Amino acid sequence: MAGLTLAIGLAVSIGEIVIPLRTIAEAIANRMFGTSFAIKPIHEGIIWDYRLSRALVSASSGAALAMTGAMLQALLRNPLAEPYVLGISAGASTGAVAIMILGIGSGVLTLSTGAFFGAVAAFGLVSLLAAGAGGGADRILLAGVAGSQLFNALTSYIVTTSANAEQARGIMFWLLGSLSGVRWTDVLLVTPIAGGGFVICMLHARVLDAFAFGTDSAAALGVPVRRVRLTLLGLTAVMTAAVVSIVGSIGFVGLVIPHAARFLVGPAHERLLPATALIGAIFMVLADIVSRTIIPQQVLPIGVVTALFGAPVFALILYKARRPV
Amino acid sequence: MSSDPKRRPFILRLAFAVLATFAISAPAFAASTTYPLTIANCGRSITFDRAPGKVVSIGQAMTEILLSLGLADRITGTAVWFSPVLKQFDAENSKIKRLADNDPSFEAVVGTGPDLVAAEFEWHVGPSGSVGTYDQFSKLGINTYVAPADCAAKDNTTGGDGVRKEMLKTEVIYQEIAELAAIFNVQDRGEALVARLKEREDKAIASVAETRVKDIPVVFWFSSKEVDGEAFMAGRNGAPAYIMRALGAKNVIATNEEWPLVGWETVAGLNPAIIVIAGMDRRRYAADDPAIKLTFLNSDPVASRISAVEKKQVVVMDSQAMSPSIRLVDGIETLAVAIRQFGLAK
Repeated sequence: MAGLTLAIGLAVSIGEIVIPLRTIAEAIANRMFGTSFAIKPIHEGIIWDYRLSRALVSASSGAALAMTGAMLQALLRNPLAEPYVLGISAGASTGAVAIMILGIGSGVLTLSTGAFFGAVAAFGLVSLLAAGAGGGADRILLAGVAGSQLFNALTSYIVTTSANAEQARGIMFWLLGSLSGVRWTDVLLVTPIAGGGFVICMLHARVLDAFAFGTDSAAALGVPVRRVRLTLLGLTAVMTAAVVSIVGSIGFVGLVIPHAARFLVGPAHERLLPATALIGAIFMVLADIVSRTIIPQQVLPIGVVTALFGAPVFALILYKARRPV
Repeated sequence: MSSDPKRRPFILRLAFAVLATFAISAPAFAASTTYPLTIANCGRSITFDRAPGKVVSIGQAMTEILLSLGLADRITGTAVWFSPVLKQFDAENSKIKRLADNDPSFEAVVGTGPDLVAAEFEWHVGPSGSVGTYDQFSKLGINTYVAPADCAAKDNTTGGDGVRKEMLKTEVIYQEIAELAAIFNVQDRGEALVARLKEREDKAIASVAETRVKDIPVVFWFSSKEVDGEAFMAGRNGAPAYIMRALGAKNVIATNEEWPLVGWETVAGLNPAIIVIAGMDRRRYAADDPAIKLTFLNSDPVASRISAVEKKQVVVMDSQAMSPSIRLVDGIETLAVAIRQFGLAK
């Protein structure tokens, strides 16, 4: 927790405008404890409305994506499972692009709402397909692959037939993930979802342990396999859809952070889930700092940062935790 | 900066304008083209044996230049439109076939049987053009011409809107007009058009020659994908940068990209005195509507504290005036009027 607090502290302190630490503390005190330190309104706005809200959304999104990755890897018994494998991200992209380019419901629906509906629709379709194919972990994965391809194709179709070059670049930026424009309303949406998701995950920690040994073993231990799988898959869909609708499609976190956490605390979910959430949160906050400071006056998509900086870190963890040959 | 070095080019411009005015009154003196005509264009050499009878124009700015040269009857198709055509060409343009609002297909272009394809952007017609490459067209005996504004010291290989290494100048627009006029053997019309544009440009510059504040910090906000999110702001070498420099203002955004995405914290830190926002008919990005841009500026806790917003020094400019086109002169006039209105010029 100290690590996360430090990361958020860094996120609030670092930015294009240099603001003294004392001013930062005063701005936060003004808003949280009703003090009235005399500081420039522009500084208070930057610290409270821009940097702190953005840091909290980063942390919540990172935690949520990492947790869903850990859950899916256990539920589907596949180390390569992650939120995106269920087609959720592809569906969210299609939803957002449909609103951005085709203007479907524009004015009423925001980009985020479009992404959310797209994500839920994709998950619904993939679930139906998987159920129709007889259910089971492998069928869900295969249905997810098919769903992803379908929705990616739809997105490409819309972009190539309707977008101009400038729009296509904007879409690419959004598809790679962006925390631009994040405000307190987003904090109020994504933080409770991440928090609630964490509580439900923790309540299922032992069940997830049982799943890791296979559905037969889980059933033998008295776990209602179908019901639990449906509940937890639904939970991952809602968590991913909420995150993707706010910050865009950010890969890598859901896939890799659970593995990094497993190397550090072992496979038992009671410890794995909190570690995953915490590392995911810290990682995203740091990635966002890098994304908005690495190029002066410009912003890099956070998905590029998570992969460019996350991959070597993951390689290092893999190397450190190498098995004796 | 002393005012002397600035005044000298102004006097030169004035002299040029006077000469140009003579050119308007005496169009008969304009030379007619001797074919074959060879010109250097975007790193290639292109040759015309005669004036093209049919041309397809890809890009609104290119189309409007051809229309300004009185060549409507030679245009067999247009494509890539950002906003409605300049009002005075409404009637002529409505008779021309619009092949596509965005990228037309290669066959649609070739299908109209053009002798020439003139493109505003290299990414449409160029070494790896999305509509067609130079080779594809030349194999069918079709000549290609690309606006020099899109390749003079500009790198289009990076994707997006490209990276400009040197500042765009109206000179390159005037060069384009002169070249097209020569290609179509309407040099008198080209000279007259350039003279008119130069005269307006010089007049606008002269109107703020005695600016009270030198290097007025300015930003140009085109649009944003999310209203609260990062904004597409004009980079330091594009058309808006030229507008600013011509009028003695300073673009506070310092990157070479044509339209980099810039965060509002950065803009607040640069504290511009004037914010120019783009007006456009397009409604695809959340912040395309200038009214939405204004609402954001007035309500956002940080943006509303920028001095340009606090002092109500925000000006709406047509988006076409922010691109390398004949409307660039409209942009210079609009900002010049704003500088005077805001009391920044004596």
